[in-house]
Amino acid sequence: MGFTGPELAEIYRRMRTIRSFEEKLHELVSAGKIGGFMHLYAGQEAIAVGVCAQLTGADIVGSTHRGHGHCIAKGVDVKAMMAELFGRSTGTNRGKGGSMHIADIEKGMLGANGIVGGGIPLVTGAALTAQVLGRENVAVSFFGDGATNQGQFHESLTMAANWELPVVYVCENNGFGEFTPTDFVVPVKDIADRASSYGMRAVIADGMDFFDVYEKAGEAIELARKGEGPTLLECKTYRFYGHYVGDQTPYRNKEEAEDWIQNRDPLDIFETKASEAGVVEPDEFRRIDGEVAALLNEAVEEAEEAPLPSVAEVLTDVYVRYEG
Amino acid sequence: MATAISMPKLGMTMEEGTVIHWPLEPGKAVEKGQVVLVIESEKAEVEIEAPASGIFRHIYIEEGDTVPCGTLLAAITETADEPFDVDAFHAAEERPEVKGDRGLRVKGDSDPKPGTTSSGTGARKPIAPAARAVARKLGLDPQQVAGTGPNGRVTKQDVEAYAKAREALIPVDRSVSLEVLTSGTGDPVVLLPGLGTDVSAFARQIPLLAERFRVHGVNPRGVGLSDSPSSESYDVAQMAADATATYPGSAHVIGASLGSAAALELALNHPERAKTLTLITPFVDVSPRLRALGDAWPRLAAQADPETLAATLMPWFFSTSFLADDAARARTLRGLAQTVARVPATTLDRMITGMLSWSNSRSTDLSRISVPTLVISASEDLLVPDSGLIAQAIPGATLLVVEGAGHAVALESPDLVNQAITAHLG
Amino acid sequence: MSRILSTGGAINEAIAIAMRTDPTVILMGEDVAGGGDRSKDGTEEMGGVLGTTRGLVGEFGMNRVRDTPIAEMGLIGTAVGAAATGLRPIAELMFMDFLGTSLDPLLNQASKLRYMFGGKVKVPLTVRTVSGAGMQAAAQHSQSLYWITTGIPGLKTIIPSNPVDAKGLLLAAIRDDDPVIFCEPKGILNQSTEVPEGDYEIPLGKANIVREGSDVSLVAFGATVRIAMKAAKALEGAGTSAEVVDLRSLSPLDEEAILTSLEKTGRMVIIDESTPRCSIARDIAAVCVDKGFDFLQAPVKCVTAPHTPVPFSEVLEQAFLPSAQDVLDSVGQMG
Repeated sequence: MGFTGPELAEIYRRMRTIRSFEEKLHELVSAGKIGGFMHLYAGQEAIAVGVCAQLTGADIVGSTHRGHGHCIAKGVDVKAMMAELFGRSTGTNRGKGGSMHIADIEKGMLGANGIVGGGIPLVTGAALTAQVLGRENVAVSFFGDGATNQGQFHESLTMAANWELPVVYVCENNGFGEFTPTDFVVPVKDIADRASSYGMRAVIADGMDFFDVYEKAGEAIELARKGEGPTLLECKTYRFYGHYVGDQTPYRNKEEAEDWIQNRDPLDIFETKASEAGVVEPDEFRRIDGEVAALLNEAVEEAEEAPLPSVAEVLTDVYVRYEG
Repeated sequence: MATAISMPKLGMTMEEGTVIHWPLEPGKAVEKGQVVLVIESEKAEVEIEAPASGIFRHIYIEEGDTVPCGTLLAAITETADEPFDVDAFHAAEERPEVKGDRGLRVKGDSDPKPGTTSSGTGARKPIAPAARAVARKLGLDPQQVAGTGPNGRVTKQDVEAYAKAREALIPVDRSVSLEVLTSGTGDPVVLLPGLGTDVSAFARQIPLLAERFRVHGVNPRGVGLSDSPSSESYDVAQMAADATATYPGSAHVIGASLGSAAALELALNHPERAKTLTLITPFVDVSPRLRALGDAWPRLAAQADPETLAATLMPWFFSTSFLADDAARARTLRGLAQTVARVPATTLDRMITGMLSWSNSRSTDLSRISVPTLVISASEDLLVPDSGLIAQAIPGATLLVVEGAGHAVALESPDLVNQAITAHLG
Repeated sequence: MSRILSTGGAINEAIAIAMRTDPTVILMGEDVAGGGDRSKDGTEEMGGVLGTTRGLVGEFGMNRVRDTPIAEMGLIGTAVGAAATGLRPIAELMFMDFLGTSLDPLLNQASKLRYMFGGKVKVPLTVRTVSGAGMQAAAQHSQSLYWITTGIPGLKTIIPSNPVDAKGLLLAAIRDDDPVIFCEPKGILNQSTEVPEGDYEIPLGKANIVREGSDVSLVAFGATVRIAMKAAKALEGAGTSAEVVDLRSLSPLDEEAILTSLEKTGRMVIIDESTPRCSIARDIAAVCVDKGFDFLQAPVKCVTAPHTPVPFSEVLEQAFLPSAQDVLDSVGQMG
């Protein structure tokens, strides 16, 4: 398998943390304890963790409105994230951003983004910085199937291909763009088919299988780092919740959804494969589950106790400096 | 440990939901994921799953009630017999208040700004904000200021000029100052103009008088730059008292028309302050014709421009022969328009009220006048027909009747008037 | 030491100085070098649609002077991402009219990243763009859309009126750590004046009193400063002393300079070559009426283009643009 027991345990912990974080948010938002629009990543954990496991701290990722998973996978502090969602001044964004803009530049997380496709040029720019300054880092843009219809996707990939930028474009194709099935609005069979418009390499991975994502992401990242240009990596997946908390998903086939959720859960798939390798004790996974649950409860408690930003903060940090 | 079941927010626009059915009774065991509640929201029924396993312990909201999202509906405890405080749990689970409709504070209507006395029913002229600000600072009413801007707009410079001119005002009473035009040197002569005019009514007298006397032309309350204190009536006796504050010792007092009424009051109330008295077209009763004109005059002043008002007054003040002279009439019209512009409608109202209440009050007192008196009357005076009778009633008074002259005899026949005055003043 | 430079030449010099003094400054845009691979040895490039950036790829190479596809959203968005991660990019939006195709990265990303991230990122981006009418470029290549960018919190909008200011303001803009929209109005491009050599900056957010006066304030910016000066000269001949205020900066706005001038004269005309609704002119007029009410001797007049697209025919375009006569008429009306 190539992974040690502790490495697998850590991967599992990351994925479980994402899943539990999203489940906890579902509870909190449904109970009215957190405000705003919340878009949950549950079901797609293998992609965020699979890709980010191949990245260093210097590498940069950008995400979408469904960005909690990428934050956690990139090492952003869970408690600071929870505080942000509660709008506290101890949050990652000091309470100024919320779920759709959650970010941690120091960890190389260029932010979730509320504009569909809006993060793609930003990550392309991060790759441009690396190329201009001769740095070793790569940039990875996470986005959904819906974003590939955006002009920003087209223009960014065009530029990245022309300049052979050190960037990997990871499309998480979960079958739906908001309330509309992907095949209703994307005229090609696989998103990967679009890469040929840019002369760009494309790969398809099973987004529910950490190991498949890890391997294919690793290849793409390596090529980018070596200066051999960008790759479009399409990961087939499914989002277990609706588009946002509150979406009852009447537009999805109930049986199909149940099948993904019951039979193709990435955490189950990972646990099965990792157990088969024989380097992780079975109780280990349950122990990790318990620790993660405790972490999240702590995160919620601490967030509830944390200070709200003062009203004066409405006016701060619009500019670095603004005379006039 | 207890777990809350709260009214969920199932969509971006959902504000409240209705509890339709509790399938479990309190005390029954419940599994996480089991349907523990049915709610209705926006016409759809939704099954709510238990968030934890344990004992369905307590219901807070009954079937049929509609509550806002976030409201605590029920509680699940891990075991049946662990202590559970219904009220404490409710208090702990109450969603923290975020800024809502706290009591709104409405600032009280600001008190009406003091010092902005209305100058009456006339159309308010436009005033530049800068002019307003300067007027406020100087404690002046910008409506009193003549505006030189477009459409009569009062500018800052207009207000400043007005303020400067007011520096020359003479205080005559507590918070009342009058505009007094002085010229010449010598013994004092006091000029008291009539209704609706100012000291310029004596334009043909002043140069001559100034050669030998110190002339004090007093514009009464409400006229020109003089203060217009708010009042129903500007009394004739007050006009006299005001005048006495504008000159030293004893003066030759000359009054025309209503000004002569003030002169009479001065002679009666302050005899030591009057050396001689000259009464030009005086009256002790207001004639019916003057009464009728007084009824229309302020209304016309409020509604028409000064040129129109002057043109309307001309036939009342001047004789036929004067009016026949087109050049003289045109010349006089311009001057008269400028003069009437200095007497606002409110002032006219107040002076007429004072004049009417004075009417007929002094007929029997004329015999008490001890000051040497000259009466000048005009044979074609339409407004004041009985000046000659006054000369008879005042002991030792001399009378000059100017034939063919109108009410504004001092302007119409200056030579004769001046001759008589010069002789009278000695 | 000075020599005569055109506005374009002054801008070119500012970019070169910025790139020499800071290796993280790059220039990107459509045809900023031009000619694709022909730029490799720096001899064949066009230097932009108006020649403003000629010579730069020769000095700095294709790593730092990058021609992009005609993809405004992509090029500007990429510049935003680069600015957030360590570069100091100068991105060119060929004509300000193309704000339409590039608005999202400016409106929803560049202007907001710092705020949304709680102050933990900065976006030191400069977007240079040619604005305004006067070259018969017609409706889709002649707009002055600075009122849009001025209204977006998080962006700065700068507009020079002459070559000297263009150089100093651009250097300041590039070195400013916030996203700056730098307008290059067509109406000033053919000006040539003495421009100081060397590295100098003009601070953002401060207006310039180009001409002192006491009877009326003419507030202008970009191409309208010349119109204001022409009107001021005519007014002087008629005995009216006009003060001309060159804003230089629309956001931040030097309110203090505007109100000081209004206090002095009591009368103000604002000259803006853009359309009237939600314009810079009316924005400033509102500030005057609110904060300078007691200074007012007359209504604040706005001289703007009409509420129309920019017409093509020369006679129509000239009628569209504000003129010195329009300014004189306003001064005459205000009393």
